[in-house]
Amino acid sequence: MANEILEEQISGEYKYGFVTDIDADNAPKGLNEEIIRFISSKKNEPEWMLDYRLKAFRYWLTLDEPHWAHVSYQKPDFQEIIYYSAPKPKVQLNSLDEVDPELLKTFEKLGISIEEQKRLSGVESRIAVDIVMDSVSVKTTFKETLSEKGIIFCSFGEAVQEHPELVKKYMSSVVPYTDNFYAALNSAVFTDGSFCYIPKGVRCPMELSTYFRINASGTGQFERTLIIADEDSYVSYLEGCTAPMRDENQLHAAVVEIVAHKNAEVKYSTVQNWYPGDKDGKGGIFNFVTKRGICLEDNSKISWTQVETGSAVTWKYPSVILKGDNSIGEFYSVAVTNNYQQADTGTKMMHLGKNTRSTIISKGISAGFSNNSYRGLVRIAKGASNARNFSQCDSLLMGDKCGAHTFPYIEIKDKSAVVEHEATTSKIGEDQLFYCKQRGIDNEKAIGLIVNGYCKEVLNKLPMEFAVEAQKLLAVSLEGSVG
Amino acid sequence: METILKENSIKAKLIAEYESSKKSLFGSLLIRDNAIENFSRLGIPQRKSEEYKYVNMELALKGDYSFETNASLTSKQIDHTQFLKNAIVVVIENGVFSKDVSKISNLPQGIKISSISDASSDKIFETHFSKYADVVNDPFAALNTALSKGGVYIHVSNGAIIETPIHIIHVSSANKNLIINPRNLVVIESASQVKIIESFETVDAKSKVFNNALTEIVVEENAIVDHYKIQNENDLGYLLSTTVITQKKQSVFSTNTIILSGSLVRNNLTIVLDGEFIESHLNGLYLTNGSQVVDNHTLVDHRKPNCNSNELYKGIIEDKSAATFNGKIFVRKDAQKTNAFQSNKNILLSDDGTINTKPQLEIYADDVKCSHGTSTGKLDPDKIFYLRARGLSETSAKKLLMHAFASEVVDTIKIEELREYVEGEIAKRFE
Repeated sequence: MANEILEEQISGEYKYGFVTDIDADNAPKGLNEEIIRFISSKKNEPEWMLDYRLKAFRYWLTLDEPHWAHVSYQKPDFQEIIYYSAPKPKVQLNSLDEVDPELLKTFEKLGISIEEQKRLSGVESRIAVDIVMDSVSVKTTFKETLSEKGIIFCSFGEAVQEHPELVKKYMSSVVPYTDNFYAALNSAVFTDGSFCYIPKGVRCPMELSTYFRINASGTGQFERTLIIADEDSYVSYLEGCTAPMRDENQLHAAVVEIVAHKNAEVKYSTVQNWYPGDKDGKGGIFNFVTKRGICLEDNSKISWTQVETGSAVTWKYPSVILKGDNSIGEFYSVAVTNNYQQADTGTKMMHLGKNTRSTIISKGISAGFSNNSYRGLVRIAKGASNARNFSQCDSLLMGDKCGAHTFPYIEIKDKSAVVEHEATTSKIGEDQLFYCKQRGIDNEKAIGLIVNGYCKEVLNKLPMEFAVEAQKLLAVSLEGSVG
Repeated sequence: METILKENSIKAKLIAEYESSKKSLFGSLLIRDNAIENFSRLGIPQRKSEEYKYVNMELALKGDYSFETNASLTSKQIDHTQFLKNAIVVVIENGVFSKDVSKISNLPQGIKISSISDASSDKIFETHFSKYADVVNDPFAALNTALSKGGVYIHVSNGAIIETPIHIIHVSSANKNLIINPRNLVVIESASQVKIIESFETVDAKSKVFNNALTEIVVEENAIVDHYKIQNENDLGYLLSTTVITQKKQSVFSTNTIILSGSLVRNNLTIVLDGEFIESHLNGLYLTNGSQVVDNHTLVDHRKPNCNSNELYKGIIEDKSAATFNGKIFVRKDAQKTNAFQSNKNILLSDDGTINTKPQLEIYADDVKCSHGTSTGKLDPDKIFYLRARGLSETSAKKLLMHAFASEVVDTIKIEELREYVEGEIAKRFE
C-alpha cells in the first residue's frame, strides 16, 4: 500500500516543470570581468555598483568552494553558466495589458493570477507581488498603493536607480561579499531581486511577496533581496520559487539581507519548491543561499519561517544577528527530502546584545534515498547577559535508505546565558498509526495527519496563504511513505 | 607563513625522532612505518580542522621536547596515587611499563598482565594489536602507533570473573619537556567480567609533559566491563587520551571519565557496537578552572541491530577555562531497533569561561529511537533561594547544588572505594 502511493508520488510530475516560451535576452556563457561589466551596463548601473561587483568578483577568485556541508554533488562549472537572462521585451510596464500574454499565462499556471490580484484589490488579505524570472524582476504589483504609505517595494535594479542612498547604505551591511564563496559570487553577478523599505512607524498593510522563477536553460539565478524595516515598523514578507524540469543542474545562489531598526519586526516566510530532480536524482536545482538578518537596534525582531521541499541540493542557513538589546530571533523550519535530494540547512543565532532571545524549531523529514541534515550555531558572546535560547530539532525517517543528521554547534561565553537544545530522531510510531487506523482513518490519511501534527509548530507560523500551500506540498511529498 | 613553519618543525621533529629510534622500538616495523606515513600526511591538526576547532594542539606542542623515557620513581613516591586499597596496580611511568613498582604478583586466575613490548610475539596480541584505532585518519593515533615505547597488555581469559579492580596508573615525572606515547591493549574474552581504572597523574614534574596515550579495548561476547578514567594531572600535564572500544554480541561496557585537572585534556573516546544486543554506557564529568582546556570527543558507532547506548556528560566551568563536548551518535543502515541517547549539561560559573558543545546525530536507519539534548546555564536562582530560605549561606547553597549536579555522574561509579575517592576530590575542589 505504502509503496503504491510512494510510487505515485515519485512518478507524479513536478507541477511547475513547464518551460515558458518567451524570448530571452541572454548574456554569453561564462564568467569574467567582461560579463560583469555587461550585466552592469545592461542594468544601467552607477559606477559604485560596478566597482562593488568587481571587488566581489576579484575576491571570489581567491576563494575555494566550501566542502564542509553534509552533501555531495558535482561541482558546478562556473564557466558553463549564463549569468544574465532577461525575458524580452523589457520595457517599463504601467498596466497589465502591456505584459506579454505568455508571461501572464505562466503566472496563472504558477497559481499567481495577477488579474485576480487586481480584481481582489479591495479585499483585506491581499498580497503585493514582485515577480523575478531568471533573475530579472518582471512585474511588481500594488506599487502605487504601497507608495502612498511611503513603503518602497520594487525590484533591486529600480532601487539602485531610484533610491541609491538606501541601497548604498544597507547593501552588503549584513552579508558582506567576503562572507562566503556563494555570497561573493552573488555580489559579483547578481542581476536583480527585490528591495523593500518600510518607513518609520508604518505597519505594512499587506503581505509583500517575491516570486522567483528560473525559466531559461543553462542559466544560473543570482538574485538579491534587501529588506529594511525602520523604527517601529512591521512587515511580513513571503518568498516562493519554482523552476522547469531539466536534466542539468541549475545553480541558484541568492543573498537575502534584512535590517531591523528599533522596535521593528520583520517576518520572512519561504516556501522553497525549486525543481528537485527526477526520481533517479538527475537534474534539479542547487540551492546555495545566504540569508541573514540583523536586529540592529533595541527591541527589534526577525523571524524566519521556511518550508523546504524542493531543490536537488540545499545549503541554506537563515541567520539572525541579535545586536540590539532585548531583540528576538526566531527560526521555524520544515525540510522535506525525497528520492536523491540532499539538504543541509539550519540557522545561526548570534547573541550580542543584552536580554536577547532566540527560538529554533526545526523539523526534518527524509524519505527515499535522501539525506537531511540540520546544522545550526548558537553563539552567546561575552557580555550578552541574560541571553536565552531554546532549540528543538526533530527528524523523521521514512524508509531505511535515507539519512537524518543533526549537527548543532553551541558556543557560550557568558555565565548568565541559558541555552537548551534537544533533538530526536525516529520514525512514525506504529502505535500512532494503529490508533488512527483503529478509528477508521486509512493509512495514507493517518500519515498525513501525523506528519502535519509533527510539523504543526512550524506551519502555524506561516501566513494563511502560504500555510495552505505548504500543507498541500507536504501531503504530496509524503503520502504513504511509511506503512 | 610563520605558523606553517612552526607546524612543520614540530611535525618534522616527530618524524625525525621516529627515523632515529625505530630500530630500538618493539613490535612490527611494518605497522609503525605505515603509521608514520599516515602521520606525515595528516600532520598536527590546525585550528581550522573541524575535529580540533576548539583546542589548539600546536600551542600545546610548542617548544622543545625530549623523547627520552626513564623510570626513576620509587614506590614510595607514587604511593599516594594508589587510591584503592585492594587493586592490581599497573604503573606506567613516562609512557613505559614499570614492573618494579607495579603490583602484579599473585594475580587471580584467568588474567595475564605484561609489558606490551614483551607481548609482541603472543598470537592473541597479534590478532588485536592496532586493529581498532583509526591510524589512517587520526594523526595522534598514528603518532602513538609509530612512536610508542611501551605500555601494558592485559588479557582476561574466557569466563574469568576478576573481582579485584585493575588500576593502571599513568604517572609522568619529567625534568625536561617530554612527549610520551603509552600504548595499551586490553583483550577481554567472552563471558568474563573485569573492572579497569586508568588514572593520570603527575609526580615531581618540573617540566611539561605531552602525553599521547592510546588504549584499545576488545570486549568479546557476553563480557561485562567497567572502565573508569580519572584525569588528575597538574598544570604541567598536557594529555591527549584516545580510547577505542570494540564490543561484540551481548556484551556490556560502561565507562566513566572524570576530569579534575590538567592544563589540557583532550579525550577521544570511540565505542564500536559490532554485534547485536549490546549495551554501552558513557558517563563523563569535567570540573575545569584556571586556564584549563578540556575537550571531550565521543563517537558511538552503532553497526548492528538491537543495541542500546546511553551517554551523559556534565561539566562545571570556572575562571578562564574552556570546555568542549563533541559527541556523535552514528547509526548505520543495518542497525535497526537502535536506542541511542545522549545528554550534555553544563554550568558556567564565570564570565571568562567558555562552553562549546556539539552533540551530533548521524542516522541512516529508520526504525530507531535516538535523541540528544544539551543545556547550559547558571545555578538556578530559585534553588539557591530555596536553600537560603532554609538557613544556608549563599556559598554553601551553591556548593550543595554543584555537588548535586555532579552526583548524577559520580553515582554511576560502581566501585565504592573509587566513588568515595572521587567524591573527596570533588569536595576539595569546591572548598
